[in-house]
Amino acid sequence: MNFTFAAHLRTGLREGFSSPLAAALSLLTGGLIVAIAWVSIRWLLLEAVWPWQEADACRETTGLCWPFLTEKVRLILFGTYPFDLQARPAAVSVMLCLLAVLTCRQMVGKPPRLNAGQLAAIWVLVIGLSFVLMGGGVFGLQAVDPVRWNGLPILLILSIVAVALAFPLGVLLTLARVQTSHPILALLASSYVEITRGVPMLTVLFVGIFVLPLTLPAGVSISPVMATLVALVFFHASYFAEDIRGGLLSLPAGQGEAANSLGMTYWQATRLVVLPQAIRRSLPSLVNSLIGAYKDTSLVVVVGIHDLTATARMSFGDPEWRDNALEAYVLVGLWFFLSCAYLSGIGRQLHRNSAS
Amino acid sequence: MKNLLSSVAALTAAFFATPALSGPVLDDIIAKDKLICLVNPNSPGFSVPDSQGVFQGFNTDFCRMAAAAILGDATKADIRGIGFSDSMKTIVADGAHMASRSITATGTRDADPGLAFVATTFFDGQGFMVPKTLGVSSATELNGATVCAEDGSTTLLNIADWFGDRDIQYRVENIADKTARLEAFFSGKCDVYASDVTALLSDRLLSDTPETYTILPEVISAEPLTLVTQPDQALEAAVFWAFQVMLNADILGVTSKNVTAIVEDLESQPKAVQRLFAEDSAAAEMAGKLGLPKDWAFQVISQVGAYSEVFERHLGKETPFGIDLSETANALVGDGGQMYAYPIR
Repeated sequence: MNFTFAAHLRTGLREGFSSPLAAALSLLTGGLIVAIAWVSIRWLLLEAVWPWQEADACRETTGLCWPFLTEKVRLILFGTYPFDLQARPAAVSVMLCLLAVLTCRQMVGKPPRLNAGQLAAIWVLVIGLSFVLMGGGVFGLQAVDPVRWNGLPILLILSIVAVALAFPLGVLLTLARVQTSHPILALLASSYVEITRGVPMLTVLFVGIFVLPLTLPAGVSISPVMATLVALVFFHASYFAEDIRGGLLSLPAGQGEAANSLGMTYWQATRLVVLPQAIRRSLPSLVNSLIGAYKDTSLVVVVGIHDLTATARMSFGDPEWRDNALEAYVLVGLWFFLSCAYLSGIGRQLHRNSAS
Repeated sequence: MKNLLSSVAALTAAFFATPALSGPVLDDIIAKDKLICLVNPNSPGFSVPDSQGVFQGFNTDFCRMAAAAILGDATKADIRGIGFSDSMKTIVADGAHMASRSITATGTRDADPGLAFVATTFFDGQGFMVPKTLGVSSATELNGATVCAEDGSTTLLNIADWFGDRDIQYRVENIADKTARLEAFFSGKCDVYASDVTALLSDRLLSDTPETYTILPEVISAEPLTLVTQPDQALEAAVFWAFQVMLNADILGVTSKNVTAIVEDLESQPKAVQRLFAEDSAAAEMAGKLGLPKDWAFQVISQVGAYSEVFERHLGKETPFGIDLSETANALVGDGGQMYAYPIR
């Protein structure tokens, strides 16, 4: 172990200082890393005000203010959801995180192994339960208006539910686009995909919030959360469709033809032979789109949905705590970093699996 | 649908020609036992959620005032944070009963049949902020100054009118993004920062050294920030007069702290105080006609407070905003402001 470390160090030094330019660059990056590390350590440890200290101490230093975080953590996580009922959004957040982790483990082939039907059933159950727990109004749960679904749960609901609904839609769009027996359907599917991918997500969100309600029959109203969800589903579906199309096109034509020659119908061949292989091949790029979709969900702030970033802003909107924007943003940044790092890890694992 | 509904409503009203005070919206509030009130989701000092996710602030207290007057309990205000244009739509679409979110009452807005502008709770207007080092005490001394203002806003039009009328030369630094605009001002790129006075007060706090900036006395536009309700004569009357109770309390020296003692010893109080709180008072007579709790005036003062109490609590000298109420247009008329208390009798 010591030997390998020393060997690594030797190789590193040799490569880092092989020429004057390389040496200069190494020193520069090294200096930058030390400077950043020093600033972070000072902020995180040396000048920090610890949770057991008085909040007033935060005004004296420029370090991390723990009392702010302990005071505001529930506001940042759940926003204006009624304080006494916050066990419900907490349960929803945990459930949705577990659902995401479970699904990711299935993709990379880790236990618990479930078949597609079981997984689909769990998804339907968890998503249904999430809406029941958030909204209440049934089973004796106090009703909570969607305006108050803030913070982490709304971020998870919008990203996970949107992805869950966009994925099958994306599959259908791809199938419609690559088949040749109905040219008009193929044309419609490809124009849909190209147009949706050609406009910014903000445009789609605004269409969802302002135009969608106008297209509904009179008397039917749709909450902003639902309108946003619909917009996100239609937006993400076109990206997923393109990812899966890549997998489909890379599949040798012989696969589908062999299935047909065995007497399978189009749907049987697609469901049992073509799609499973195509989706497996497109998993790495699907995970890419997934991470993008997840991070983009924060854009819903502009249509008045208070997700994690908006509740973080509320936390230092309180005049008493107006100096603590950095803490709030670091907390939110940490959440996004950890969750995206996990998803990227899954993506790398998929790459390794498909390579071997 | 909305138009159809309102024309049906208008026809029905014309056909039956009921006496004026029928209040379907007020009845709805009482039936639901909660008053849905919209506020800005994040406006420091005016409405911002506290650590428990409950909205607090100057505007929020007028939601609580309405709930105290109508339902007898300020906590029955269901206060929701929502964007500006959405809040107007929500009220028109019957998704909320009222809004207290710094909406400027203007002619065209009031002409909209779905909205009723009821009572002005804050007189705002466009003003100027300068660094104290500039040594300027009046906007008329700003000849040759560089002004930072929002591109494409009415702010610039107001400045053009006001400076033009006085032949003052100035240069404009158009910066659309607010953070960048403030940064330009704090770093000295422009001499003057122009915006609504309340915005100036909270923007000033974003500086590292707020005490080195001052807001000039001139206010060059009228921004009466007003409570908006669904059109309903009974609800409008309830909200308007609840606000008048808060102003009258200021004149009479009644506060949330002394109101209980005053009511217990009503006989020895001035007639004007008795008219607010006595069993057979003018306020109680109004309550009967509007369908409010008999002691609504007492509930408003004891649970929310007099107007100056609300102001001091959220924006006053003891708060980070440090506004001196007596120096603003929100002081009572008798103290040189514009707040005029209507008589309750």
